[in-house]
Amino acid sequence: MRYSRQISLEEIGQEGQLKLQNARVLVIGAGGLGCPVLQNLAGAGVGTIGIVDGDVVDETNLHRQLLYTLKDCGKSKAETAKNAILELNPELKVNIFPEFFSAQNACEIVQEYQIIVDCTDTIAVRYLINDLAVVKKIPVVYASIYKFEGQVSVFNYKNGPSYRCLFPETEGLNNVPNCVESGVLGVLPNTLGTLQATEVLKIILEIGTVLSGKLLIYDALHFNTQIIDFARNPKAIEKGFINGSQLQHRKKAVEDLSPEAFLEKCNQLGMVVIDVRESNETPEFKRDNVIQIPLDQLEEYSKKLDKNQEIVLFCQTGQRSLSAMHHLQNSGFVGVFHLTKGIESLKDQIQ
Amino acid sequence: MTITLKYFGSLADITQKKEEIFSMDEDMTSLSVLKSKMEMTYEEFKKTNYSIAVNQSMSSLDYNIKDQDVIAFLPPFAGG
Repeated sequence: MRYSRQISLEEIGQEGQLKLQNARVLVIGAGGLGCPVLQNLAGAGVGTIGIVDGDVVDETNLHRQLLYTLKDCGKSKAETAKNAILELNPELKVNIFPEFFSAQNACEIVQEYQIIVDCTDTIAVRYLINDLAVVKKIPVVYASIYKFEGQVSVFNYKNGPSYRCLFPETEGLNNVPNCVESGVLGVLPNTLGTLQATEVLKIILEIGTVLSGKLLIYDALHFNTQIIDFARNPKAIEKGFINGSQLQHRKKAVEDLSPEAFLEKCNQLGMVVIDVRESNETPEFKRDNVIQIPLDQLEEYSKKLDKNQEIVLFCQTGQRSLSAMHHLQNSGFVGVFHLTKGIESLKDQIQ
Repeated sequence: MTITLKYFGSLADITQKKEEIFSMDEDMTSLSVLKSKMEMTYEEFKKTNYSIAVNQSMSSLDYNIKDQDVIAFLPPFAGG
C-alpha cells in the first residue's frame, strides 16, 4: 500500500489522500527548484501534475537537478522529468509543456490548475505568474535562490498578499539583474524546493499554517532562518489584476522570436537590432544594423527613436531583452520583438 | 541611537558584510532618509530593487526609526 505511511497520519487519512489524488498542480520550471518539487508531489500522490520548461538538460545542471542523469543531457527537461516521476509513481497524470512560460502561452497553460508552483529563474516571469494567478485567484507557492540563500512564500492564498505586495516592480530598467550566471550550492534549491512541496501539500490537505503573508529566508552558509511578515497592498494587487486581465484578453502576438525568426528579422530592411548586453559579453553578434546599448542606457537612447520604428532586442539568455521589450512597449513603441532564449540559443549558427 | 542593519542576497555582495551596527542622529528618523543615506554610502543599491523590513516586518518608507531597531534590506532573488 503505497501511501499507508502518510494515510496513517490523522491529519491526512483516506480523505486527505483522496484530496491529493484529485489535486491539479502546475510546476513552472523543472530546474533546481522544480526537480525536488516534482519528486515530492509525485511521491505524495498528487494526481495531476503539469510541468512547464522549454529547456534541455545540460551537464552543469546535474549537481543540483537530481531527476536527471548524464544520459539525459540534451533532452527536454519537461519530457525527462515526466518520465522520471512516472517511473516513481505510474498512477499519476502528467501533462507537459516543453516551452518557456510567457505572455503568449500563459493563459492556456494555467487553465486547468488549482495551484501554481513558481520554480522559474527569471523575475519577469515571476511577475507574469503573479498577475495571472491574481486574476484567476490561484495560490502561488514561490521560492527563489541566490548563491547560498533562499526565499519561500505563498502568495494569493485565500485573498492573501501577492508577489507584488512583497516586491513592487520598479519602473525603468536600472533594476533588472544581469543574467550572468551566479554560482549556486547544489543542495540549496533542493532544500527550498522541498519546502515548496510541503506548502503545496498543506494547501491541498487544508492542514497546518500556510506560509501566506510571510517570507521565509534561509541562509545555508550560516544556518540562519528568519520569517518576515508582509501585508496585502491593495494597489499592488490591483496592478497585478490589471496586467493579468490584459493577458487574458491579448491577441496572439509574435513578439517572442525563435532563433530562425530572429535571424529573419535581422535581415529585414530598416530593422534596428539592439544588443542590450554589456560590452564585454560574448558571443559577439555584429551586423550593420546591430547597435549595442546596455540595458541601463536603453531608456535614454529610446527617446531618440521613432515609436513606429521596428526594433529587435537580444541579450544573453532573453531575460534582459524581455524586460527591455516590456519597457519599450509600455513607452509606446508598437513593433518590438526579442530573441526569446537569447544569443546563447544561436551560438551554433553564428560561430 | 543604535540600529542593526542586515543585508541579503546581492546587497550583501555590495556591502561585503551580512550585517552592521549603525549609530545615527536622532533627527534622521525616517526609513526613507536611511534609504537615501544607504544609497549614498553604497551607490550600487540604487541599481537594485529591494524591500525593507523593520523588526521582521515589511515596512513603508515613512516609518520612524527607533533605537535598537533591526532593519533588513531584502532584494528579490531570481534564481531557481
